[in-house]
Amino acid sequence: MAYNKPIPDPDPLSKPFWEGARAGKLMLPRCTSCNRVHWYPRHICPNCHAREIEWFEASGEGRVHTFAVQHRAFGGWAEEVPFVTAYIDLNEGDRMFTVLRGVDPNKPDLNWIGARVRVEFEPASADVHIAFWRVIQG
Amino acid sequence: MPGELSRAAAIVGAAEANEIGYPETPKTALQLHIEAIKNVSDQTGIPISRIDGIFSAGWSSQIAEHLGLHPRYIDTTSVGGCSFEMHVHHALAAIHAGIIDVALVTHGESGWSSRATGGRGTGRPRGSGDPWDPGSLFSNPYGISGAPSNYSHAMTRHNHRWGSTPEDFAHIAVVTRQWATLNPRAIMHSRDVHPQGGPITIEDVQTARLVSWPLTLLHCCLVTDHGGAVLIAKPEIARSLRTKPVWIAGAGESMSHSNMLEMEDFTATSAAASSAAAYRMAGMGPEDMEMAMVYDSFTVTAGITMEMLGLAPRGEGFRLWKDGHAAPGGRFPINTNGGGLSFNHSGMYGMQLLVEAYRQLSGTAEDGIHGLPGKQTKARSCIVNGTGGSLSTTGTLVLVAD
Repeated sequence: MAYNKPIPDPDPLSKPFWEGARAGKLMLPRCTSCNRVHWYPRHICPNCHAREIEWFEASGEGRVHTFAVQHRAFGGWAEEVPFVTAYIDLNEGDRMFTVLRGVDPNKPDLNWIGARVRVEFEPASADVHIAFWRVIQG
Repeated sequence: MPGELSRAAAIVGAAEANEIGYPETPKTALQLHIEAIKNVSDQTGIPISRIDGIFSAGWSSQIAEHLGLHPRYIDTTSVGGCSFEMHVHHALAAIHAGIIDVALVTHGESGWSSRATGGRGTGRPRGSGDPWDPGSLFSNPYGISGAPSNYSHAMTRHNHRWGSTPEDFAHIAVVTRQWATLNPRAIMHSRDVHPQGGPITIEDVQTARLVSWPLTLLHCCLVTDHGGAVLIAKPEIARSLRTKPVWIAGAGESMSHSNMLEMEDFTATSAAASSAAAYRMAGMGPEDMEMAMVYDSFTVTAGITMEMLGLAPRGEGFRLWKDGHAAPGGRFPINTNGGGLSFNHSGMYGMQLLVEAYRQLSGTAEDGIHGLPGKQTKARSCIVNGTGGSLSTTGTLVLVAD
């Protein structure tokens, strides 16, 4: 079935992320001056304001920082309610937003905070694969 | 010692549009603005032609043109619901600098009527992200749909980190509704006004329809129409009017992020910084405040804000409501108009905060139209805090009675 949810329109700034996503890799930007990872992609480092930013393949793992269960949504997402959204603390630093998989949205549990998660990519179109995160054991 | 800007100007009047809430005939935002502006001019006796500075969230030039004004100072700061607190800050500075004598801060927003007429969108497709705002490419695709779906993440984190519960925050909704029953203009004043109006219980809040767990519908603000305007004047003018001045003792603003992706601590806002600046300017502290008007887009917003303003220990802001202090007759009244939760919330609620703070400190909170006995408090000082965006931006004012 065709992907029926909003598909982002990649901009030049985030091109390496989308290329990585198509290959099943989580690519993140890192400042080579201060060595800190930042998300989302920037024109200059938000920490030290250097221009030197490189992309690298990240572990694709992290932990749930916080979450909510959406009972009201629009477009294609309306068919999915209830679903869980979450902010993910990346192992390499900084944070991503996602729809969280591998949990039961009808039984929200504060213990999900801190749970280990791994990224997976879903093809939304030929060019755009979207990152989702799934709770893993251990 | 107070800062140089402290009391360099006063709010000299505050008024609303003729009809707010759910108007029978849909109203435009401009109409709501103009009604409120005419009303505040009549209230203060300051002719509209005396206004030389105009402050609004994005529409200042259209409004000035509509009024036939050629202002010397034009401010369109539009960073969410706290914009109007920031406008007061900016107007204070402009008056102190001698650029203007009389500032108009104005708001008109047809949150309700625009639904009725179907004219809602900004033209941008919902959810696909905006390359101008690169963070949105990495949040919008994931099914979030406006403020409730984002703010809920803050409640979850607060519950985890501080051991609070959604029931703790439900007390904010219950107590705020008590205030609304004293305000005939509140949408939730009574069953006569709204089928779900009148007093509510913790159980009502917790069993209401889930919007974004842990937030039920009654943890969320209303969507209504509102127009409001305040006039701010230099001391010489403020003392010459028929209305009472309410002095701007302190003002401050700050922000921590725009996209929630950049919110480092989901249980804290920049109100810690904006209130520190406001207290410093005022030469006053939390212990000098006698009431508060704080943005309650959601129960969690109000609870966290009280922690940021230094009026409650970290993690325990909700206790001011749970222990009854914030309620009618309590020692520290909060949101005496019935709040965004039960009075009126048009999308940006900062003006509603200002209007009620002015009324309380000028002794006009029970003027026969906007209040019933019990709404007027004895407070002589009020801290006002607006919160905009996704817990992103804040503006704080310390206001004191004459």
